[in-house]
Amino acid sequence: MKKLFVTLTSIIAISLLSGCVSLDSVSLTQLPEYRDHLVTASASDILFLGFTTQNDFVDEAVESLKSKCRGGKLTGILTKHQTTSYVLVFKREVIASGYCNTVEA
Amino acid sequence: MMKVSKARSLFFKSIAVKFSEIQVRESLMLRVLVMSLILLGSGCARLDHVQISDIDQSQGSLKPISVKISNTGFNAAETVAIAGALAQSDSTKESLGDLATLLALVNMGPTTGNPVYNDRYAENILMQLHQQCASGKITAIRNVREGLSYGPVSGEVVRIDADCIL
Repeated sequence: MKKLFVTLTSIIAISLLSGCVSLDSVSLTQLPEYRDHLVTASASDILFLGFTTQNDFVDEAVESLKSKCRGGKLTGILTKHQTTSYVLVFKREVIASGYCNTVEA
Repeated sequence: MMKVSKARSLFFKSIAVKFSEIQVRESLMLRVLVMSLILLGSGCARLDHVQISDIDQSQGSLKPISVKISNTGFNAAETVAIAGALAQSDSTKESLGDLATLLALVNMGPTTGNPVYNDRYAENILMQLHQQCASGKITAIRNVREGLSYGPVSGEVVRIDADCIL
């Protein structure tokens, strides 16, 4: 019984403590004068042992960002690409945010 | 992303070690064939860098354009390490292990993906992008540095997706 308790506690502790994030890349574009309307979009995928054949989730983040500023101009875009690692499982994530300014005709 | 690559590399090495434990009566060819199939079947995509530029949707309709350039990357140390794990005699294993360590030391340092043999493969990317956009007005540029790994060999890819303002 004690052995089972120690094993379970160890598994839970390993699972919780190993959930750490590594920041793979960050980029920022020119900031606009008016910064009232901040929009954010993110996309992610979850991999076992890092096995995957595509990186299509990046496009989802871009499309989501574009959809939040139809007919406008998105500037000051901060892009973060990060990986969160759990036990044998990795979550890859792209988070993008920017300021949407609608051009008056 | 380095952590993901290391986990995958450990996985491949453990497979290689398991195969080296197959009894001598199993032919070397069979082991090499099975290892090759595993490596070829495990084509893994890698994402190193993502950058999104300003997106201007106010000047007209947009047409998606894309340029993808790749070159072959090769990890010599990993190749020799796998060969060492597959070797039958202990002396060969030891020699190849030493060689793998030496190659790893020679190539030590920060890298993105596997080394390639042409450092200019991504130079014409801007010209190719302009060829796809007659108006010359390009927005929403997404720079993606990625790779496709097949064991020690990989395709080192630079991809630029963008929108052409019509």
